[in-house]
Amino acid sequence: MDLNALTECLSSTSCMVTQATSGFIIGMLLFLVAVGLTLIFGVMKIVNFTHGAFYMIGAYLAMTVFQMTGSYTLALLGAAVGACLFGVVVERCFMQRIYGGNVLMQLLVCYALVLILDDLVRIVWGPEFKSMGMPDAFRVPPLFIMGGVVPPFYLFLIAAALSIAVVLGLAIARTRFGKTIRAAAHNPAMVSVLGINTGLLFTGVFALGCLLAGLAGGLAAPVRSLTPGMGFSILIESFIVTVIGGMGSILGALVGALLIGLIRTFGALGFPLFTEALMYLAMAIVLIVKPSGLFGREAA
Amino acid sequence: MKRPALRDGLIGLAAFLILAALPLLTTSSALVDFVIRCAALGLFATSLNLLVGYGGMVSFGHGLFFGMGAYSFGIIMQRTGMPIPLAILLTLGVAAIVALAVGAICVRLKEIYFAFVTLAFQMLVHSMIIAWVPVTGGDQGLRGGIPRPSFLGINLADQKQLYLFSAALLVLGLMAMRHIVSSPFGYTLRLVRDNPARAGFLGIDVYRTRLTAFVLAGVFASLGGVLMSLFVSGAYPEFAFWTMSGEAVFIVMLGGTVAFLGPMVGTVLLLLLNDFVTRVAEHHGLVLGTVILLFALGLRKGLLDFVMDWRAARRTRAQAGADRPPGPNTIAGTDKMERVAT
Amino acid sequence: MSKPSLIALNRRGFLAAGAAAAGTVSMPWVAGAQAKVVKVGFPTILSGRVAQLGTSSRNAAQMEVEKVNAAGGLAGRPIELVIRDTKGQPQEAARVARELVNSDGCEMLIDAEASTGAFAVHEVARDLGILCIHTNSETSSLTADPKLRLPNAFRCARQGIHDSVVGGSYAAEIANAKNLTRWATCSPDYAYGRDTTGEFVMYLKRFAPKVEVISEAWPKIFQPDYTESITKLLQAKPQALYSCLWGGDLTSFIDQAAIYALFTQMQFYAVNMADYTALTVVKNLPAGIHSGNRYIKTFPATPQNAAWGDAYRAKYGEYPTNWAWQNGLVINFLAEAAKKANSADGKKMADALRGLTIASPLGADGTVTMRAEDQTIIGYAVGWGTTIPKEPYVPEMKSVPWQRILELEAEWKKDKGFT
Repeated sequence: MDLNALTECLSSTSCMVTQATSGFIIGMLLFLVAVGLTLIFGVMKIVNFTHGAFYMIGAYLAMTVFQMTGSYTLALLGAAVGACLFGVVVERCFMQRIYGGNVLMQLLVCYALVLILDDLVRIVWGPEFKSMGMPDAFRVPPLFIMGGVVPPFYLFLIAAALSIAVVLGLAIARTRFGKTIRAAAHNPAMVSVLGINTGLLFTGVFALGCLLAGLAGGLAAPVRSLTPGMGFSILIESFIVTVIGGMGSILGALVGALLIGLIRTFGALGFPLFTEALMYLAMAIVLIVKPSGLFGREAA
Repeated sequence: MKRPALRDGLIGLAAFLILAALPLLTTSSALVDFVIRCAALGLFATSLNLLVGYGGMVSFGHGLFFGMGAYSFGIIMQRTGMPIPLAILLTLGVAAIVALAVGAICVRLKEIYFAFVTLAFQMLVHSMIIAWVPVTGGDQGLRGGIPRPSFLGINLADQKQLYLFSAALLVLGLMAMRHIVSSPFGYTLRLVRDNPARAGFLGIDVYRTRLTAFVLAGVFASLGGVLMSLFVSGAYPEFAFWTMSGEAVFIVMLGGTVAFLGPMVGTVLLLLLNDFVTRVAEHHGLVLGTVILLFALGLRKGLLDFVMDWRAARRTRAQAGADRPPGPNTIAGTDKMERVAT
Repeated sequence: MSKPSLIALNRRGFLAAGAAAAGTVSMPWVAGAQAKVVKVGFPTILSGRVAQLGTSSRNAAQMEVEKVNAAGGLAGRPIELVIRDTKGQPQEAARVARELVNSDGCEMLIDAEASTGAFAVHEVARDLGILCIHTNSETSSLTADPKLRLPNAFRCARQGIHDSVVGGSYAAEIANAKNLTRWATCSPDYAYGRDTTGEFVMYLKRFAPKVEVISEAWPKIFQPDYTESITKLLQAKPQALYSCLWGGDLTSFIDQAAIYALFTQMQFYAVNMADYTALTVVKNLPAGIHSGNRYIKTFPATPQNAAWGDAYRAKYGEYPTNWAWQNGLVINFLAEAAKKANSADGKKMADALRGLTIASPLGADGTVTMRAEDQTIIGYAVGWGTTIPKEPYVPEMKSVPWQRILELEAEWKKDKGFT
């Protein structure tokens, strides 16, 4: 334990800024994955264990597109669209068969899909780890904000993720699609009685989730090494996020993701050997105090 | 009540005799190893099914007790010269206490939240195992082998004797669990699973029933852990990692949650599949995944459950000529009571 | 050369005269017991995040097996590797190792597992009494700790303590010259990371007494994001940073640290950098990283070593890894031991292996020795140097004479209570 380092940091603005922004970065990438997870759970009531695989696919696609075209914008687009299309296929072929079924059977199908997707990536891109490299536009020295160090790429990353959060929030609140989603999350039977094509709606939500996960993969690709099975650790963290925030709540996913990000960065200062466990501790505490999560509905 | 117990006892005895006779038929020590692993994982998975199948509590953190069993036993044997049976009893005691503490917090929660909080506890224990290096050996696991002094003329350092010992523990463990689920407590547990509110009206303490099931499951899981640590002569943090719990959930699913022996069938199936596939295929994730997918989407339930339902459906058709609706859940629900009652 | 292998060679020569090229002869060319292949079990990790450990180990071993078989195998019996995936799980490693011996009829094991798996296989070797050579575990205690030692288990891999002695003296020299006193460490939080870092710091402080470690970051192994560690290090403002992150973790760390401009603010000592997998993957490798050698074909700077690296590359389309040379070398050791023992019997070969010195392109002086007292290799190439972003990547490697390494190692063992 190193509480001195933690208190020292809390009393210095430069340290606070640096640690807080780095917490935001970790949190924002987590949010993009977790929000899809939470949406899918909210509407389809299914715990999508394959979600990390779409993050992985997004990262690999981004790398490939970036290597072919040299454009990071195209790479991001490729990652998002590719993961989304892949999501549609997976949903239509497999997921649709397990909605409303036995929870354990859903798990089993997801587990099988993860095994398959990981191996497919291994066959296509090889077993060794890869690195995409930083796009030229971001190969610039870091900025200093109030004495804290902030790399421009991370500013872009936070901005991108935040705008997605806002757009998503507005879309869910205002648009017809969003209202249908909320209605479906609340009462699926009612939605289908109202003559809305739930099959299409489910595919749409699943694809949206995959799109966001793929985008997160694309955004992470320049700074994280790519390996088959890389979706796994982010999946676990995303689960922690959704459980803390409340399954099905977008706001909850945002708050939960930022919380985990900050726990990681400040935890690394104060409890260097116990950072990982802090996340689980946070999850256990939230579950015990408020089982449905910070922003979850009791009946969820 | 008496007759089924007698029947179970006879079946158990017969199963043990068959297992004991197996090595006489072949000289393959791979078969011996296979059965020992089946015993360890089978006990573990069946204990999980006490929670999942009979209690309706899907735990993602059951590996905690498997790991606990392996580590407690290993540490006791390495540090004290205790006789093995005593060390096993002590290990089960430790597991029971830990399960009581963890369960007291977890079993209040419902469904997916129960699953996640058990997962969280498991990961906390996993972190502790890794961090507490002087006792657990950290991420390298318990090294240097687990001493296996002879007791009552049994020498577990000999693989054949370990085999017989494992087979005996497996049969005894299964019989004990069978006894639990067909006891009045077992019925109470199912009632709590199917309708906790109604159970409450009937004066059943739902919380205590669940907690008891949680502790019992933890104890039997740790027995599986003991066998595994004897098999590998060590204990590793992976035993308490969530993938271990995942494997147990997976086994239970594969074999079936309704029939008592479903998890045993699942264990054999998974181990066969795993051993075979890693042998022949480089991309075993692809092969294993595809097989599971076909299984899950084709049968939509565990193998043994599928077979039992199929047989039950055929019998009723033959008896009454009536047609049962094909809804898997409803059939499973009604059959559950019948089958365990017989 | 011993008699039976002469006979074998003659027979092979006889056959080769009548048949095709000699290189591929491993068919049943002699009848009876002598022709029987020696099955060698090879449990390793072929799936998951460190699959590359297994694939490159397997590649190198197979490359050497082809050569050895062409030259008559082990006492006239060709080697057949039985390679099996353990998925990096210790209980699978134990299971697979037992199965390889018990049902596949392997007569010896090459344990190409990472550390935890290696300890599990070690226990199997204890149980079964079979010849077992660990090739990928660098954890010092595996062979240094007398409590763990087995007469039938060997290690043909680097040992953490050797790396640390060389790294510590190399770093101390620079620290003294440039007055680098404030150091930080960032290593993965598991046994290898903790031990190696501790030993490095110990020797660094010993040779540069003014050095002080002001900050430590311990990310988890396989952690995808190091930002929290990086910012923590930036806060501490050390003059130099040591890390024993490896593989994809190291490249992630470098990519992430580069955008914080970490490498312009402190010197970076990364023991696992100078391995082709890491060097070629990082797109914008900062110049001037100090690194220990893993496998690099220019160190030792001999034609034999360059030829070995190139041959591997020609065959598999990539340069060897650190794991590769260790698994290539073990086959050479087996071949020489069989020659010396005049037998492919595990017990006799184990006796022959103890103290055996063989010629190898990877030896610091052209030879590598299997030290008798603790059955681990010494004399292999260990060095440190600074990297440049293109081939040859590390133009100049500095080393410490093995005699000195051994002295310091002996002291360390005494301190640890191992002797």
